Amino acid sequence: MSDRAISWLSSHKWILAGLGLPILVAAWWAFRPERLWVNVKVDEPAPFNSSADLQPLYTGLLAGRAHPTSGRASIYQAPDGKRDLRLTDFMTSNGPDVHVVLAQSTDESLKQDFVKGQLNNVELGLLKANQGNQNYDLPDSADLSRYDAVVIYCERFHAVFGVAKLDKF
Amino acid sequence: MLPRIKLALAFASLALVFGLQPSASAQESAESNRAVRTLETGSFHGNVHPTSGRATIYQEADGKLILRLTNFKTSNGPDVHVILVAAKDADDDANFLKSNTPRVELGKLKGNEGDQNYEIPTGTDLAKFQTVSIYCERFDANFGAAPLEKF
Repeated sequence: MSDRAISWLSSHKWILAGLGLPILVAAWWAFRPERLWVNVKVDEPAPFNSSADLQPLYTGLLAGRAHPTSGRASIYQAPDGKRDLRLTDFMTSNGPDVHVVLAQSTDESLKQDFVKGQLNNVELGLLKANQGNQNYDLPDSADLSRYDAVVIYCERFHAVFGVAKLDKF
Repeated sequence: MLPRIKLALAFASLALVFGLQPSASAQESAESNRAVRTLETGSFHGNVHPTSGRATIYQEADGKLILRLTNFKTSNGPDVHVILVAAKDADDDANFLKSNTPRVELGKLKGNEGDQNYEIPTGTDLAKFQTVSIYCERFDANFGAAPLEKF
């Protein structure tokens, strides 16, 4: 920059500041960069009475493996702490010795239609019906942070009918 | 003749075990008579501004629809709104102004973290508006979207 330009700038710095400041303010207003570090937390109650009613904990959609399977698997907790699994809009094919179990979603054997060896699982009971809404009690010991998948499982042939990965509600 | 009958019987019993199990249908109710029904739910995905959590639509006894965000987290920003968009899902870099996607305004985002509720205007067609978006109106930037599925 030439000396002349520098002297022009220094003699007109107030004009420049007067122009620059509104630009800075406008940029701040538009981008609000401070919000990158400022969090706003809220904690509104659920629209239902959560202390006196069933609380949904986890939910997931069933995907078919060896047999077409669809619907939703959700885990609810009652006010007394008891948990149960509820299947809704549920549909699978009927078969022999079909159980509802919890397994680990990271289990490689769930990626195939048939499990080689034993499936590491928590038994919830025989499948009550291959269609319709149904509930299953969860054992108090079931650790849902580890067993985070619902599997419709044919024990006799080690066939995975369908799997639902449970996500936090 | 006798071996044939035996064979037929063997086939019949096999068919009973494998094929002819009747289709059974259950209709258990949720052990709850809560007046508020859960209609739809979905999980947030977002990349440009990491967004996570769950969006659920409830219907109260009087028919009013409520959107509730739980385990929710996004980045804070200017002029961020909660909207419903007429799409099955939204790309992480979606611009609903450019794509001319119809949307329903639910209000300014109350907080970038935590559980929060928004009223859905009466008459909103949930069959059409299937995705929740956390949307910066000023820059038409989609912070995150949650495609809703039937609960």
